[in-house]
Amino acid sequence: MIVVWEVFARSGLFSEALTPPLTRIAKTAWQMMLDGRMEKNAAFTLGRVLLGLLCACLIGIPVGMLMGRLPKVERLLLPLLSVLMPIPSLAWVPLFVLWFGIGETTTFVVVVYAATFPVVFNVWTGVRAVNPLWTRAAMSMGANQRQLFRKVVLPGASPYVITAIRLAFGRAWIAAIGGELLASPVYGLGRVIFDAKEFLNSDVMMASLIAIGVIGLVFERVVFQVLEQRTVGRWGMVAMARR
Amino acid sequence: MERLRNAVVNFTWLAAPFVLLAAIWEAVAYAEVFPQKLFPTLQTVAVTFWELLVSGIIWTNTEGTLLRLVLGFLLAAIVGVTVGILMGRFRVIEDILLPAVTFGYPIPGLAYAPLFVLWFGLGDIPAVLLVGVASCFIIIVNSWKGVKAVKPVWLRAAQVMGAGERQIFWKVMIPGALPYILTGLRLGLAQAWRILVAVEMLMSVEKGLGWMIFGAQQFLNTDVMLSGIAVIGLVGVLLEKQVFERLERYTVVRWGMLTA
Repeated sequence: MIVVWEVFARSGLFSEALTPPLTRIAKTAWQMMLDGRMEKNAAFTLGRVLLGLLCACLIGIPVGMLMGRLPKVERLLLPLLSVLMPIPSLAWVPLFVLWFGIGETTTFVVVVYAATFPVVFNVWTGVRAVNPLWTRAAMSMGANQRQLFRKVVLPGASPYVITAIRLAFGRAWIAAIGGELLASPVYGLGRVIFDAKEFLNSDVMMASLIAIGVIGLVFERVVFQVLEQRTVGRWGMVAMARR
Repeated sequence: MERLRNAVVNFTWLAAPFVLLAAIWEAVAYAEVFPQKLFPTLQTVAVTFWELLVSGIIWTNTEGTLLRLVLGFLLAAIVGVTVGILMGRFRVIEDILLPAVTFGYPIPGLAYAPLFVLWFGLGDIPAVLLVGVASCFIIIVNSWKGVKAVKPVWLRAAQVMGAGERQIFWKVMIPGALPYILTGLRLGLAQAWRILVAVEMLMSVEKGLGWMIFGAQQFLNTDVMLSGIAVIGLVGVLLEKQVFERLERYTVVRWGMLTA
C-alpha cells in the first residue's frame, strides 16, 4: 500500500503539490506536532466531540429510557424521532449558521444533534430488549418500580447503552469534521484541512487526515473496548452485546 | 363505531407530536427570538415549498441528489463487496488490505472532501467518488466478516459431498455471507445518504438538495432551506422504509436467516 502510494506520488502523474510523497507527509506531521499545532487542533476537535457526546447522552439516555418504559412517551416521541432521524445532521449546518453564527456554537449544536438520535434510538431498543422474564421474576419477588428500574432494566439495557455511545461517537466525529469544514470555527482538524486546501498544502491535509484516523482508531479500539470489558463484559453480558 | 374511534385516537396520537412541535415553532417564530427572516413561520415555509414544488425546482434538485446517491452507492457496493469477499477468501489479500481498511474505516469520509477537490476538481465526478469512498469501508468490513462467519461445517459438508471450489463459493459462501453483506450495504447506503448532502455543499455541484440549501443560505432564504431539509427528511424516510426493509424481507428474511 505504502509502496503504491510512493510510486504514484513520485511518478508525477499528479503534480507533487497534490500528492506529496510519504516522507514529506511524515516530516510535516512531525513539524506540526513539534510546534503544537497538531495537538491544539486535535484537542479542539476531540473536545467538541466529547462534550457533544456528553450532552447527547444527558439528553438521549433519559429520553430513550422513558420511551422504553412509558408507552405514552413512546407514542408521543416516536413519530418525531422517525422523521428527524433520517435527516443528515450536516444538512442543518447552513441553517444553524444563520441562527447561531459561524463558529463554535454551530459546530457544537450540530455535533449534539448528530449524536443524540442514535443514543435515543439504541437506549430505547435496549430497554425494550430487556428480557420480560427478568422483569416478571423481579416483580413476583416483590420489587417495586424503582428497584425494578435500577436493578433490572438499567443493567439489562446496558449493552445497548454502550453500543449507543459507541455509535454516537462515530456520528459525532463525522459531524464535528463536517461542521468544522462548513461552519469554520477557529480551531479544529477539519478547519486545518480546509485552510490547507486554500494554499495547496496537501502534506498538511494528509497529516491531519492521518491524525483524524489515528484518533478515531484509538477511540474505537482502545477506549470503547476497555469500556465494554470493564462494564458489560465483567457482568457477563458481552455475549448478548455481541449479538 | 369502535373501529372508527380507534382510528381517530390513533390519528390523534400520531398527529399530536407534530402539532405540538409546530406550535412551539410558531411561538418561537412569532415571538421573534430570531429575526423573522431567519426563522420563518410555518405558513411561509409551506408557501415556499409549494412554489418550489410547482416550479419544479425541488424535483430537479432531488433528481440530482438521488442520481448522485445511486451512482456513489453503486460504486461503493461493487468495490466494497468485491474487496470484502476477496479479503475473506484469500489470506494474502487480507494481509495486505486489512491495515489499510482498519485505518481508513474510522476517518469520516467528509474529511477527504478538500483533498478530492484538489485532485479531481469541483462538480459531479468527485462528489460521486467521495460518496463512494465514504461508504465503501463499511461494506468491505461487513462482507469480509460475512465470509469469515460462514460456518466451517457447511464448507466441509459441501466438500465431502464433492463440490468444486467454484460451487462452494457460489452455493455456500455467498449465500452464507449474504446477511452480513446486506447489512453492510444497508449501512453503506445510510452512510452515503448522510454524507451526500454535505458533500454537495462542499463540491458546489450544479443541482442537488445540499447545494440548494447551501445556495439559499447566501440569500438568507431560510424558507427555501427548510423546504430542502423537509425533502431530505422525506427521502430519508422513504429510503429506510421502502428500500431497506423491502430488500431485507425479500432476501434474508425469506430464506429464514433472520427473523423480521
